[in-house]
Order: sequence, then structure tokens, then C-alpha cells
Amino acid sequence: MKKKKAAGYGRQLTFWQKVYKYRVLLLMCLPAIIFFLIFSYIPMPGAYIAFTNFNYAKGIFRSQFIGLDNFKFLFTSGKITMLTRNTLLYNLAFILFGNTLQIFVAILLNEIRSKYFKKITQTLMFLPYFISAVLVGLLVYNLLNYDYGFVNSIIKALGKTPVKVYANKYIWPFILVLVNLWQQTGYGSIVYFAAIMGIDAEMVEASRVDGANAFQKIRYIILPSLKPTIIILLLFAMGGILKGNFGLFYNIIGPANSMLFPSTDIIETYVFRTMMNNFNFTQSSAVGLYQSVFGFAVVMLCNWVVKRIDSEYALF
Amino acid sequence: MMMKTRGKAFSLLLVLCMLVSLTACGKSKNTGADAIQTSASADTKENTASDTSDTAIDTSEHVTVKFVILGDKPTNGRLEAMLEELNKKLTEKVNAELELYYVEWADWQTQYNLLLASGDSTIDLIGTATDWLDAWPNAKKGAFLELTEDMLKTYAPITYESVSSEHWDMCRYNGNIYLIPEDNYTQWTNHGFMYRGDWAKQFGLTDGIHSFEELGRYFQGIKDNYPDVIPWDAAASGQAFGAQLSGGYIQSNTNTLFIDGLDVPIFYGASKEDPFTLVAPIMEGQEFIDFAKMMKEWSDAGYWREDVLNYTGDTREEFYAGQTGADQHHTQTYYTTVRPQMDIKQPGSEVQFFSFSEPSKNLMKLVITHGAAAVGANSQHPERALMVYDLLRNDEEIYRLLNYGIEGTDYIITEEGKLDHPEGYDDSTDRLDSNFWYGRNDNLELDNITWYEGKDEIFANYDSYAIDYPYSQLVFETDDIASYMANMSDVYTSYITSIAFGKSGDPEQAVADFRKAMKDAGYDEVYKLLQEQLTAYKEYLGK
Repeated sequence: MKKKKAAGYGRQLTFWQKVYKYRVLLLMCLPAIIFFLIFSYIPMPGAYIAFTNFNYAKGIFRSQFIGLDNFKFLFTSGKITMLTRNTLLYNLAFILFGNTLQIFVAILLNEIRSKYFKKITQTLMFLPYFISAVLVGLLVYNLLNYDYGFVNSIIKALGKTPVKVYANKYIWPFILVLVNLWQQTGYGSIVYFAAIMGIDAEMVEASRVDGANAFQKIRYIILPSLKPTIIILLLFAMGGILKGNFGLFYNIIGPANSMLFPSTDIIETYVFRTMMNNFNFTQSSAVGLYQSVFGFAVVMLCNWVVKRIDSEYALF
Repeated sequence: MMMKTRGKAFSLLLVLCMLVSLTACGKSKNTGADAIQTSASADTKENTASDTSDTAIDTSEHVTVKFVILGDKPTNGRLEAMLEELNKKLTEKVNAELELYYVEWADWQTQYNLLLASGDSTIDLIGTATDWLDAWPNAKKGAFLELTEDMLKTYAPITYESVSSEHWDMCRYNGNIYLIPEDNYTQWTNHGFMYRGDWAKQFGLTDGIHSFEELGRYFQGIKDNYPDVIPWDAAASGQAFGAQLSGGYIQSNTNTLFIDGLDVPIFYGASKEDPFTLVAPIMEGQEFIDFAKMMKEWSDAGYWREDVLNYTGDTREEFYAGQTGADQHHTQTYYTTVRPQMDIKQPGSEVQFFSFSEPSKNLMKLVITHGAAAVGANSQHPERALMVYDLLRNDEEIYRLLNYGIEGTDYIITEEGKLDHPEGYDDSTDRLDSNFWYGRNDNLELDNITWYEGKDEIFANYDSYAIDYPYSQLVFETDDIASYMANMSDVYTSYITSIAFGKSGDPEQAVADFRKAMKDAGYDEVYKLLQEQLTAYKEYLGK
């Protein structure tokens, strides 16, 4: 037994020896590898459709190659700029406001002394996360519609003029961010709450002995201890910065209300509409490809920046 | 030690479970690739089939023919009972059975085209249409099998004989036949508004509604007299109302002739005297601006709900319940469904139909490919599919089974030889809904006693001014302008609905913006190319 171990440390293992040595770990990786192979790598060549004049019968690879023609209109019409701006800004808002609120809520939860109250609060906040986007869309419609909406009924009952929410594109960014916060905060705060629970109790104890009050404890113990978690979560979120929340946007805004599109259309909803309403496979793939390439660049850039600041926190 | 191995074995088992479940996923994903491969084998099959056409047709293998149709799959059990009977007969005659595949109304355009795009090899017959179901774009994209005259003669002889050679010519693309037309069936599917005759009278429109202006007065009447009723509670989310309303207004106010089958429905022939000059009233002239203004007024007056663009309710059901005053659809729907239903559910409502063709007397007869059948490009049994279709369309017994159901339970024939329903039959729950709209046959159709009896009058009125569709053999070649068309389609769909419901701010500005965006998307190039092809078509017709 001893002898074998010594030999193992002594020389470099070849590839196959390594495979054999870590066989169990590799086997456990296998499902994930196969998953990404099937759903991410094998379909990848299909992105070629974005450069073709697609014909159903000829298939993707035998359709006529037309270069960047499919991208041209997206850029000349300014559509791509608008979509990128909306997707980026919404996601930034979701990430920044979302995480701030989640941390805030996690700290509040931590300060609650009554065990039952804490559990009930947590559960209630968690609930919206499980409501499907379709129902959320319906809820929003029933709250905000002009003729029979809950909000407007109250406004009318008070003798004021009701608001045309579905005709005002400037309100929607706020509504969408609010709805997103409502849905995600409970879930997101769990992670931070767990991190807070993981903070060494001795530190907290020591601060109390030193006479720190609750605010000082939060400021000097909890927040600094959360820093690694915050950075990792932000970085992960950055990776998906160009990936919009399709369900939320599509169900709340719908496919017909084009007045709201300038401030609410994100890449996903655009791709869906062009493909499903106009059967424009090539154009929607073009946008999809653009999204992937741009998203890839953003992740690389973020990672590079983080590496420069502190290589400990970099993703890879 | 023991514990450790057991732990290891357990984790191995877990990993294996995950793997198995993954590969299960992988398998179902593969069918797309299979479908593409089978197209080659279908071709070879077709060859062998025509080789053996001299000898008797081999029907020794029992096959199921899958027919893609549009509509919501009925759940009252009547369809299944009918199919059981029908399949007995079909098995007896051609050793095949029919399976109906419903593309349901929710998002039907999407579903239908995606289904065809998938190249599914289990699809044998496809219900299609050149005007409302993208038959030509799909034929171009290769979704349908080319039907040789030999095939038609051999496997669908009665149909082949009954369709005239001019009509077959209308089903050709690049010289090949792709569609079997429903060319022996009278119907009118011109759009318009159904409204309540009793209310119109009450509001002083004693003569009914004959123009958009009068329709507006009717809506205002509802607004004034029935505060709880939304004049027209349209549900515009995901519907084609934008195109139907703007198209209807243009039909009402100009003599232009709408040309079917383009991805962007904005092109018209100038008039029946000059059908080969291409015009787009939406892009130039005053009509579309007037339309936008009028719709803005209607919207401001509250003739539909403020959030019409996000509303997804069922307008017709509201109409039946007396909660709204109008429903927009076509003549056929009016006399077969809405009028008879309203006579039962809102007695005395005297529902009338305002056809968009009325003010200008601008109406074209329906193309014979408003309903058509095609064979799936990758079908495994194209021959048997044609044989089954031939029977569905021409065999009296089978035709009645498919369209009317089982005699005695689904329908009865009155002494005068008319179609009626048995005692206790309720059309709203007992409908057969076999939706065979792709080969109906006037020779076998029975006069329906439940339909609105005023239909003959309506037909006579239409017949007095309708002209033949002048573009029935015109198939635009749009490959070179496909990307422009795609861009225009994108612009069109994002503007038209909000303009048509007066929800895009200042109407003149909205129309100007829309026109500019269309031009940026390549309207001029598209216009030029289509006009060239229209001119070529004129020469082809020898005019």
C-alpha cells in the first residue's frame, strides 16, 4: 500500500492513468458533460442557418449561403442596438436591485428573533418564485388594465382619472423590475441567508463583547463576510447579462402591443416573435447568434477585469 | 471497508440513473434528423410506385394515413365514434385508416408552419390553402410532395377526372402539381362585421349597416344605450385583426384587388380594369391615413377596451352572451354558425352581416385553393394517402360519415332530402368538428336546414358584383427579396395592429413612421420586383 502511493507521487501520470485514477469523479461528471454535448454543442453547427437563405426541403446545410445579409437589416434599422440596450439595462437593474434587496432581506431575516415568524416570513416571500410567468402576466393585466383593473377601479372609486398603463411605455421598466423583484427576492435571499448562517459565531460573539451595536455588527462583521458570496453571485449573473427573462417579458407585454416595445422588447421576445409570427428562422437565428457571441465577449471581459483586481475571484 | 464499497456502489448507481435518464432525452431529440433522412427513401418509394402502376395497386399492408387539419380537437366522443365507422369502411376499401391530426386554433399559424417545417415523416395528407394557410410558401420551402399526373390518375382517379385541367394548372408551381383544390364547393369567406339587427334598428339604422361610418354610429349607439356593453370587445393579442381591419377598410373604400400569398399582405392590383398594376394603398394615398384617423377616434370613443392589444378573451362567446355588440369574421361563419346560434341564445337579435365589400362593391370570388389538400414531402405512404383522399372526397357514404357523422345520432336527412340534426342535438356541445375543408364537394353536400335561411339572398347579392380572382395562377418568386420581405413583415406586424386599434398616438405621424420604416426595410425593391413579375404574368395570360 505504502509503496504504491510513493510511486504515484514520484512521476507525472499519463493522461490515461489520470483518467483511471479519477474514474469515479469523471463518471460523476459524465451526465453534465453529456447534457452540454447534446443540448449545447451538437446543435451549435445549426447556427449556420443565420448565414443562409433557409429552405425547409434542402435543410440547413444545403440552403444557399448568403453571408451576413441576415444581419444587415438588424443593424441598419437600429433594432439590434435597441434590443441590446434593453436586455442589458433590464438585467443590470435586476442584478443590482435584486442583489441589494436580497442581501437586505437576508440580514433582516437574520435579525428576527422569533423562530416561527422567521419561518413564516421566509416561506411567504419564497412563494411568488413558484408562480408561473403566464399567471404573473394575467395578474399584472388584471391589476393594471384600464377598464376593469384593480388599480384603476380604486382610482375611479376615488373620483380620479384612471391611468392608461398599457399605453405608456415609460412606466413598464419600473413595473417589470418590480415584478421581477417580487418574484426573485425570496429565493435569492436564501443564498445570502445561508452565507450569513455560515459566519463564524465566535466573530459575532467577539464583536458583541467589544460593545458593537446591531448596525456596527452588520457593517463590520456580516457585510465583509458576505463579500466573497456577493462577488461570485454577481459574476455568475454577469455571465447571463445578455440572456433575458423571456417568460416574464412575453407574458406581461404580449405579442401585439408594439407601443411598448421600444422600452420592453428584449432579445428573447424579439427572436420569439420573428420566428413564431413571421417564421423568419434565419433572422431569429441571426439575433440568437449575435446574443451568444456578445454574451461570450461580456463574460470574458468580466472575468479578465476580475482577474486583474483579484485573481482569487475569477471564474476561470 | 464494507461501508465504503457500499457507498461507492450507491454513488455509481446514482450516476448511472442520471445517465440513463439523459440518454432517454437524447433519443427523442433525434427524430428531426430521422425525418430528414427519410425524404430520400420516400422518393425511391414513389418511383417504384409509378413503375408498378400498370398492375393492380398493392394494398396488402395496412397503413394509417395521418391528415393534418385545422381546428380544436373535439372532446365529445362523436368524432371517435365516427372515425371508428369510417375506418371500417376505409379498411374494407383500401386497407387503410384515417387519423386526424388537429392543429388547434391557439397560435395556429405558428403551430401549422412549424409542424410542416419539421418535415415529420408520419404526416401523409396536409390540409392547406393558398390564401390563409401559406400553401405556396410551404410548397416552395419543400413541405409538400410533388404530385405527378400519373400518381393522381392511378391513386385518385375520381378526383383527377373531376378537376378540370385549368384548375389543375392553378395548383402548379414550377410546372408541378402540389395541391388538390377544393374546386367544387360554394362558399364565401369575405370578411366583415356581424352586428345585432335589433340594436341597429333601435339606434336609427333601420336599413342596416353599409359602411364604416354607419358601423361607427352603431358602436356609438351601443355606447349611449348600453353602458355595460363594450361595442366590440376585440381580443387583439396574437390575432390578425390589424391586417383584417386595414384590409377591410381599403376594400370598402377603393377598387383595389387584394393579392394573396405574400408574407406581407399589403399588395393589390390597381382595379378590375387594370389588375396588373401593383399598388399598395397602405403605403401611399389617403385611405390608410383616413383609416388610422377613424380608428383613433373609435379608440378614443371607447368602442373597444382600452387595453385591447393585451386582451385575450373570446369575443364570440361574449357576443352570444350579449356582452358585446359585434364580432368580426367572414360570411360563412355568419350564416353557418353565428346567426343560428344567436337566434337561439339571443332571440330576436336578428344578427346582420356588414361585408367589407358592400360600400365599394369590390369583391373577388374565392380561389379554388381556399381549401386544398397536399401530400407531406416525407410521407411514407403517398399512394395510399391519395387513395384515401379520393374516397373522402368522392364516395358518398364516406363523405357523409366524415362530414356529417353517423346517421341517426349526428344527423338526419329530412323528407325533402335536407340535412338536419336529431331531436335533442345541441350544436354548441354536440358538433362533430371533423373540419374537412380541403375537398368538400357540392355534388355530395346536403342543404343544411340549421343554417340561416337568408344565405341565398346574400349569395345572390355577392354574385351580382363579384369578379373572378385574377391572380389564381400567380406565384410570386420571392427568393431574391426574401430578406426584404422578412424585414417588411417584421415592420408590418409591429405597426399594423396598434394603428388598426388607434393605439399609436397621432395617426398621421404613426402612418408616416410606418411608411418610412417599410421603405427602410426594402419596400421599393420589393415593389419593383413584384411589379415585374406581375407584368410577366400578364404577358403569360396573353393580355
